[in-house]
Amino acid sequence: MVQSDVVQPASTAPRMPDPVTYRRAGPGAFITSWRNFLFLIIGLAALAYGWKVTQVDFVGLVVNLPKSERIFVSLLQPDVWVMTLADAPLQVGTANDQSSGAQVGDWTLTVSPSGVTAGQQLTIALSGVRPNTQFNLYLVDNRGNTTPIRVNRPTDAAEGREPVKVDAAGNYSLSFAMPASVAAGEYQVRAELPPGHAAWRGPWRFSETFETALVKMIETIFLALMGTFFALVVSIPLSFLGARNLMQGSAVGWAIYSAVRTIFNVLRSIETLILAVVMAVVVGLGPFAGVMAIVIHSIGAMGKLYSESIESIDPGPIEAITATGANRLQVVLFAVLPQVVPQFLSFTMYRWDINVRLSTVIGLVGGGGIGYILIQYINLSQWNQAATALWMIGIVVITMDYASAIIRERLV
Amino acid sequence: MLRIENLRKVFPGGVTAVDDISLTVPDGEFLVIIGLSGSGKSTLLRCINRLVEPTSGRIWLDDVELTALSPGQLREARKRIGMIFQQFNLVKRSSVMTNVLSGRLGSISPWASVIGRFPPKEYERAYANLERVGIPEKANQRADTLSGGQQQRVAIARALMQDPSLMLADEPVASLDPATSHSVMKYLEEINRQDGITVICNLHFLSLARRYATRVIALKAGQIVFDGLPEEIDEERFRSIYGEDAVEVEIR
Repeated sequence: MVQSDVVQPASTAPRMPDPVTYRRAGPGAFITSWRNFLFLIIGLAALAYGWKVTQVDFVGLVVNLPKSERIFVSLLQPDVWVMTLADAPLQVGTANDQSSGAQVGDWTLTVSPSGVTAGQQLTIALSGVRPNTQFNLYLVDNRGNTTPIRVNRPTDAAEGREPVKVDAAGNYSLSFAMPASVAAGEYQVRAELPPGHAAWRGPWRFSETFETALVKMIETIFLALMGTFFALVVSIPLSFLGARNLMQGSAVGWAIYSAVRTIFNVLRSIETLILAVVMAVVVGLGPFAGVMAIVIHSIGAMGKLYSESIESIDPGPIEAITATGANRLQVVLFAVLPQVVPQFLSFTMYRWDINVRLSTVIGLVGGGGIGYILIQYINLSQWNQAATALWMIGIVVITMDYASAIIRERLV
Repeated sequence: MLRIENLRKVFPGGVTAVDDISLTVPDGEFLVIIGLSGSGKSTLLRCINRLVEPTSGRIWLDDVELTALSPGQLREARKRIGMIFQQFNLVKRSSVMTNVLSGRLGSISPWASVIGRFPPKEYERAYANLERVGIPEKANQRADTLSGGQQQRVAIARALMQDPSLMLADEPVASLDPATSHSVMKYLEEINRQDGITVICNLHFLSLARRYATRVIALKAGQIVFDGLPEEIDEERFRSIYGEDAVEVEIR
């Protein structure tokens, strides 16, 4: 609306439009209004202040990116499997003058002598290995317990240790005196390739990191499942009380409806991470804290969806079943339930899917699951191990997402 | 016998749908209510079984005053009043059999209905009623796989499960084509003639009213403007009910 100071002539003749009106059309029109100009200034001021308080530093981002190269490279090399080069038998407690060995492909592991007493010199040698390959040496007892002899650790470079690797000719040799702390018995000397150097030769096994992450991932999926289930048990009965079409008609009904909807909205608005922190204080660190965090948030989220799907049903069957003389419970069972069951199943699948995603981060604050070990790996800068957890989360979340989409499509 | 005295229904918005209607329907009558959309036909019908709560006035079915009943007594009374609807109002995802059986909900024990278990004799009756409306072979299909006419016949079978003494039909054929309309109306006529069930039926088409009704009343703005035999509705009466510009469309 164009304001004009000029008093309009008291004429009934049609007035020509003010030429100024035309000039104010087009993209430039916005800035010519003082009020809009003021909004623009306020907007720019807000952005400037935001830039300052959030310490925006794009130059630093670009400059520092190469320094993090190691992290990005590690993230592409998850710790999933190790190659067992070879196991060579070693007897501790009984000396002999023979040697033992194992050959896998072109590689040879030699232990001499193959029987030592405490304090006796022992030589472990590798040959025929791809030049400069890093590897680990372990002592394995007959129950399968491994003790590192020489191993590479992610922190070696930072702490100034030389990597354990074969020389440019592919050979390695280590001599040491058998410590007295090693009990007498049958052992194996095991040489294995660490992750990131895996060539497809020789027997392999999943790494400890992978096994730990897998167990924790399964825990995460079930954490989400239990959270979803408990929330389901509570929210389905409540959702009928929070459906306007079932509760209208009386003041009491309206009061219950309003109360239930308010509860849903409050529960839904509390962030699961915050709930997980609070629950970790209440029930202690661990998966159950995560379950409770998910339960509380999901009751609100699922209850609202269920109520809305009840509200969107065809009212006709309700009317028809009511007209037959059925009571309220029968009306719900025969006219409402058959109409909402597919949506309920679909929403529940969807919520489980969301909750698996939430569970992965709930672990970061002590709620159990895979997030709990992920944050430990990150804190210890074990990027290969962190990568294992991250890749696993990614694969599981994408799979769940896809599977739930397919199932939901079939249901509705 | 159904007796309505000074019935009024004013909706919360202030619209008077039924304006002081008094009416007596003797047993065995096939009463057709005609009138324009919004003339109060549906509201009048729903006031009888109190799906719509009347604002004032009284309704008797035989010697029971429907308007004075408590919720529990009302459910008892509703068992004697069958009702079918324009949109059939079947539970679409349930089987035809379940839909028919649900007409019996008021008469079986609440616990049996919670677990969804009906006595065997109810299944037999449901099957007999489906046979009566000519679609026993559809019993185990989902209701939404049936055509409109078949769905309305399922709705009739559901109402018959109640052993009603009164059948309310709210525009039962308004969503159907002419041929199907006649087949549904014939079933209503049959239960009226053979079982002596009083039928009160809302209709749009005068031709159907002329063909099936034993008595016609016409509503306009919530009031009765005609009450008589179907053949008494001539050109002039028709104009007074439907307005000056109306032209009669026939369903044959």
